[in-house]
Amino acid sequence: MSPNSTDQYWKDPEYAGKAESGNGQVPWTEDAPGEVSRRNFLRAAGFTAAIAAAGCSKAPVDKALPLVTQAEGMAPARSRYYASVCGACEAGCGALVKSRDGRPIKLEGLPDHPLSRGGLCAVGQAALLGLYDSHRFTGPQREGQACDWLEIDRIVLQKLDEIRTAGGAVRLLTSTVTSPTLNGVIARFLARFPDARHLAYDPLSCSAILDAHADTHGIRVLPRYRFDRSDVIVSFDADFLGTWISPVEYAAGYRERRRIEDKPETVSFHVQFESRMSLTGTNADLRYRVAPNESGTVLSVLADLVAARLGAGGAPPPAGGLNTVPAKVLEDLAARLVTVPGKSLIISGSQDIAVQRLCNTLNHILGNYGSTLDIAEPSYQKQGRDSGFVTLLDELTSGKVNALIVAGVNPVYELPEGQILAESLDNVDLVVYCGERPNETSGHAGLICPDHHFLESWGDVEAVCGIAALRQPLIRPLFNTRSLLDSLNVWAETPASAYDAIQGHWQEHIHPRTDGADPFQTFWDRTLHDGWARVKPETAAAPTFRGAGKSLADGSASQDDFTLIAYPKIGLLDGRHAYNPWLQELPDPVSKVTWDNYACLSVAAAKESGVKEGDIIRIEGRGLGDALELPAHIQPGQHDRVVAVALGYGQETTGRFANIGPQWILSHPSVGGNGLVGIRVHGLLVRENGCLRYERTGLRVTRTGETAALASTQTHHTITVPERLAPAGGLRRPIIQETTLDAYRANPHSGSHAQHDEYKPLFPDDHPKHGHHWAMAIDLTACTGCSACVIACQAENNVPVVGKDEVRRRREMHWLRIDRYYSGEGDEIDVVHQPMLCHHCDNAPCENVCPVLATVHTQEGLNAQVYNRCVGTRYCENNCPYKVRRFNWFRYRYDDPVENLALNPDVTVRSRGIMEKCSFCVQRIQDAKYEAKRRQEPLVDGVILTACQQSCPTQAIVFGDLNDPESLIARLVQSPRHFRVLEEIDVRPSVGYLTLVRNRMGEREVEHHG
Amino acid sequence: MAEVRINPREPWILGRKTPIQVSNDICGILERKPTRLWWMAFLTSLTILGIGTVAVVYQISTGIGTWGLNKSVGWAFDITNFVFWIGIGHAGTLISAILFLFRQKWRTSVNRAAEAMTLFAVACAGLFPLIHMGRPWLFFWIFPYPNFRGPLWVNFRSPLVWDFFAISTYFTISFVFWYVGLIPDLATIRDRAKPGLRRAIVSFFSFGWTGSYRTWVRYEVVYLLLAGLATPLVVSVHTIVSWDFATSVIPGWHTTIFPPYFVAGAIFSGFAMVLTLMLIARKVMHLEDYFTHRHTDAMCKIIIVTGSIVGLAYLTEFFTAAYSGNSYEQFVFMNRALGPYAWAYWTMVTCNVISPQLLWFRKVRSNLMAVFVLSIVVNIGMWFERFVIIVTSLHRDYLPSSWAEYAPTFIEVLTLLGTFGLFFTLFLLFCRFLPVIAISEVKGILSHGREQEQVADVHFRDERATESEPETTGVHA
Repeated sequence: MSPNSTDQYWKDPEYAGKAESGNGQVPWTEDAPGEVSRRNFLRAAGFTAAIAAAGCSKAPVDKALPLVTQAEGMAPARSRYYASVCGACEAGCGALVKSRDGRPIKLEGLPDHPLSRGGLCAVGQAALLGLYDSHRFTGPQREGQACDWLEIDRIVLQKLDEIRTAGGAVRLLTSTVTSPTLNGVIARFLARFPDARHLAYDPLSCSAILDAHADTHGIRVLPRYRFDRSDVIVSFDADFLGTWISPVEYAAGYRERRRIEDKPETVSFHVQFESRMSLTGTNADLRYRVAPNESGTVLSVLADLVAARLGAGGAPPPAGGLNTVPAKVLEDLAARLVTVPGKSLIISGSQDIAVQRLCNTLNHILGNYGSTLDIAEPSYQKQGRDSGFVTLLDELTSGKVNALIVAGVNPVYELPEGQILAESLDNVDLVVYCGERPNETSGHAGLICPDHHFLESWGDVEAVCGIAALRQPLIRPLFNTRSLLDSLNVWAETPASAYDAIQGHWQEHIHPRTDGADPFQTFWDRTLHDGWARVKPETAAAPTFRGAGKSLADGSASQDDFTLIAYPKIGLLDGRHAYNPWLQELPDPVSKVTWDNYACLSVAAAKESGVKEGDIIRIEGRGLGDALELPAHIQPGQHDRVVAVALGYGQETTGRFANIGPQWILSHPSVGGNGLVGIRVHGLLVRENGCLRYERTGLRVTRTGETAALASTQTHHTITVPERLAPAGGLRRPIIQETTLDAYRANPHSGSHAQHDEYKPLFPDDHPKHGHHWAMAIDLTACTGCSACVIACQAENNVPVVGKDEVRRRREMHWLRIDRYYSGEGDEIDVVHQPMLCHHCDNAPCENVCPVLATVHTQEGLNAQVYNRCVGTRYCENNCPYKVRRFNWFRYRYDDPVENLALNPDVTVRSRGIMEKCSFCVQRIQDAKYEAKRRQEPLVDGVILTACQQSCPTQAIVFGDLNDPESLIARLVQSPRHFRVLEEIDVRPSVGYLTLVRNRMGEREVEHHG
Repeated sequence: MAEVRINPREPWILGRKTPIQVSNDICGILERKPTRLWWMAFLTSLTILGIGTVAVVYQISTGIGTWGLNKSVGWAFDITNFVFWIGIGHAGTLISAILFLFRQKWRTSVNRAAEAMTLFAVACAGLFPLIHMGRPWLFFWIFPYPNFRGPLWVNFRSPLVWDFFAISTYFTISFVFWYVGLIPDLATIRDRAKPGLRRAIVSFFSFGWTGSYRTWVRYEVVYLLLAGLATPLVVSVHTIVSWDFATSVIPGWHTTIFPPYFVAGAIFSGFAMVLTLMLIARKVMHLEDYFTHRHTDAMCKIIIVTGSIVGLAYLTEFFTAAYSGNSYEQFVFMNRALGPYAWAYWTMVTCNVISPQLLWFRKVRSNLMAVFVLSIVVNIGMWFERFVIIVTSLHRDYLPSSWAEYAPTFIEVLTLLGTFGLFFTLFLLFCRFLPVIAISEVKGILSHGREQEQVADVHFRDERATESEPETTGVHA
């Protein structure tokens, strides 16, 4: 756009007048005409705020304004990107928010963020829908009646006054708070009362790790785990690539040590001991199934073996004391661990403090503290203290609490004592609930103070010591909400806007932690622009190791009893995002089931109890109260005495999904008999030594005789065809290539099926691409299956949610799916994840069968789908060998005007009766091309990022121009690991994969085929 | 020379009919009030058609999602029914054109009904490509008509476009052929009708037929030319339909055997359907003299031949898969025979290959009830053949992650039923209002007035033109 046209069309007279009445001096000049960089825009924003603060205007500019008046450089239909911090969980990943016409429409990974390194998980990206959720609180409520903030504040202040004078108890219950400013405000607020405490708990608790460090290092701290520095990773039940503490950060670090081409010598070795099949387990180089009560023993033996080798004492290992793990395995592992001092990482997901102490001890004797475990600059991502909640509950039940403020958490749902808590809340004088949407807890609160969504509010985050980040609002609050920071400031009678509060706090506390080279304003502006800044830790000295953990005896559990493991599932986590339809419909990366929780049984256990997939089973046992009835899912790779059920289901807010998806004569609701999605299992959690435990022993599993169909996106799970139907030599489909690191080092082509000569095309390429030729490569070694790309694609391309019944009918609409294949026998299996999307074949079988030319090839090698030309014969779907085409079987629902604000205006919302599929994010390609053209610069490799590629935490996806010999994709295509799926049918796909390389010690070689 | 068991001069039409008797027999049916049986059959068909219509309207107003299709199986009942009906429609042209050119006199008793059946079956078939579209209201986009969309036209590489041409051509030629053959009979009806509406209508549609020598000559020439034109269509239509599958990349579809295999299958099913219909008509309309055991015998023999070709095709497919060394292809056939849809596969084999072998026995061939049952069995088998080809190939193709099962919803079942309703409604109306047997052609093969003639005469005589048939000129009306 030329500067002239900016003047003609976008300069509001009122705005112009204001600009003149200001000082008229534009504080930025270096930009090209008609173009304002983001930095300058933010500088301008800061400048405006400074003028405002100086008294030129009525009120300080502390809110995002709607674009009634165009900001300079802002053009309609042009997206702008702002750095912020994701607020979907406490991990504090950097987020790049795409804003279009004044509304945020997509969350992406913030490149160069020190934690997330450009990635953003499925949950983080899906959190966008939380903003445009019409079921949020639309304004404050008093006893269920709408009221205004003045009334709320009057009541709160009055009651708090009474309590203060009476010396009553005030309690604030939150999850982990990673905001320095909010922590400061909380402290200031609580200091006003004689008896006030802030209690933080984490629904997915890591309390035992912190408590164990309190024992062994004298400081209650969560180490920052450095997977990028670990040569050997030994994980006991910790799903660190999926759901454990900070999965994006960990996956990105893990990936750093999986660079097969660049640094094959630094590839890390990952052993997983676990009782259920976690996403992390599917990626492990070696994986062993252990009973939940056995992992402590395995850890003990390993610790003893390591200690013995290091000459640090320790008992000799028990003779034949282990049930599942061969002694040789642990001996080899111990031998390997001692060769890499300070470069290994032993982690455990256990909530048993003794196990965690042992873990610390082992890490200590291996010299890992200070290198792979950082406790000098620790993580603040989980600070909850489980025992604190027990104390609070005691106080509540005995009526010792006068005021309780619950912020952001849903303890009635999330904690096993929810029912007791709910009853005791009714006896508290003042219960204030601060949160975004109604839930089990808010129903028991007298006052509802609706909170902003994180995209609507200012905020700051220090998720890991030394990395301070700023969060900026991208839109004016949609509803009459107020952030917790604002509310506490008001109730502390130090009213200040969130913006001022944060800036004040940063000036006082954060800026002094920099090297002081920049004045505060510069530091602030830069941080706001970058999204984060590195600062010095508050305390300098690293705590030292004090005491060793003791070896653990084998827990004794009857061999017949089942242990229930309640696990967080990718997407739903602890249930805080249960309102989110994208996440409900996101297939679990391992089971591929959507819309439900279910009881996972191992193949052997299912066979033994005669349970088939979809049979409803009853789980009963001592102290369980009502038996739990859930459909069974047979999960290979799980321990035989384990029944695993996902947390986060059966939440009140999921009642909204009763009518999601197309409604027709044979449709079934997406909710179960309880009117909710899935069944709540949080009530089955137990506490041991104050810690919330996610296992419960002594259970029986029986069949009820009823069945329920699970909505699964993949029903054939192996890469082999059924043996009975297999032709000679055709048992295993050659669609995945895998090898071991040893074999790869010996021969980079190892694992390749490619008899490339055999597949030489008969016909020459009659349509050579002369300009760009877009292509993609996906590194199967890097891909963890985390499904961030699936949600990225859904958000970018307006992919509809179809509901459980339609998924059950195998009609999910995801353009990008992740195929998960098991290989091996029974429960001893290997797993591979293969993202599958339109391959944009140069000789596309879909194109020549369309009678109306609705799918055609572009000159740049894209397989384009012309929606408004499509008449819906579905011939292309049939003829697609990859089965990536998706048909609009119905008119999918877009009847929620608020939710529709999340739609990407660059991508057509498809109507009923037409075919759709991955477009390689053609809108992003075009955008980048226009931008390059406008700047009159050549298109640089790496500028175009497809949505799936952008947010991939492990950078497994590479997209680019094959005709650019310098491009990364052109180099990857030449890699010996590069292969194409179904190359032999000569469809000439543009998507390729890189062979999966497992780092194996050699005793379990990957099967070789082809 | 050995004794010939069937006297070649044994008459095709029994009862020593005179031409006037033929006119009375056939036209009489139309001139009487419909029987109670006809009414029952008609109302039942109409009801089924109505139910089918409701199902289709619901499907079009709600979405294709009301069918049991999914992301892997994009076609199932719809295209199965389409190919099934097209196959049924095959026998008509074969009987009218090819058998005419080969001077198979017995065709005269069945050709009218067979041609009518063709038209109605093609109408039923044509419905499916239309309603199976996601946006059927845009069906005209597959026609290459002049438009304002610049270069955007139809894709001539798509077999679906060829399908459109093949079917519309086939329907047009079949209709013209059928109608031309009908003109002399319409004139007969006209001449017998009392003045009034009926006579006016029939008079209009008989295009002023006079029965003169010149009219007959022109008629014969046109009929012969049309027969010649229609002959390639017998091969082309189903060949092109088979290309829908053969030009794809899907194992189980991508095979060069399909064109002959489909044509044989179509003739097989078409003859079975003609038999079914004629055996009912024979009983209900008392046409025993016109549609005799000799007719069924001849048709059964064709069924044996085509059924055996189909059986050979099934074997060849397995051989090709085994010999190809292509494990995807091999798997598809293992999966057909032993996989989740094995029941459909074995139903197909039983109905199409095994049960028609019973027709080798003269006893079975001469038992009309047995022939009737077998003709229905063949039709069931041929429906399953298309189901097996379409569904078992799609539901487990290349990537095991996308394997999916298909089951029809009741909407699809009702739609299939509805087309049977449509077919029988049209057929019953045809039986009511038009001569179900070609009167003029049957008269040409009567033994009446021919007993003393020399056999040698037959070869050079134009059967109809040389015979004077005064009643068709209206003198007796």
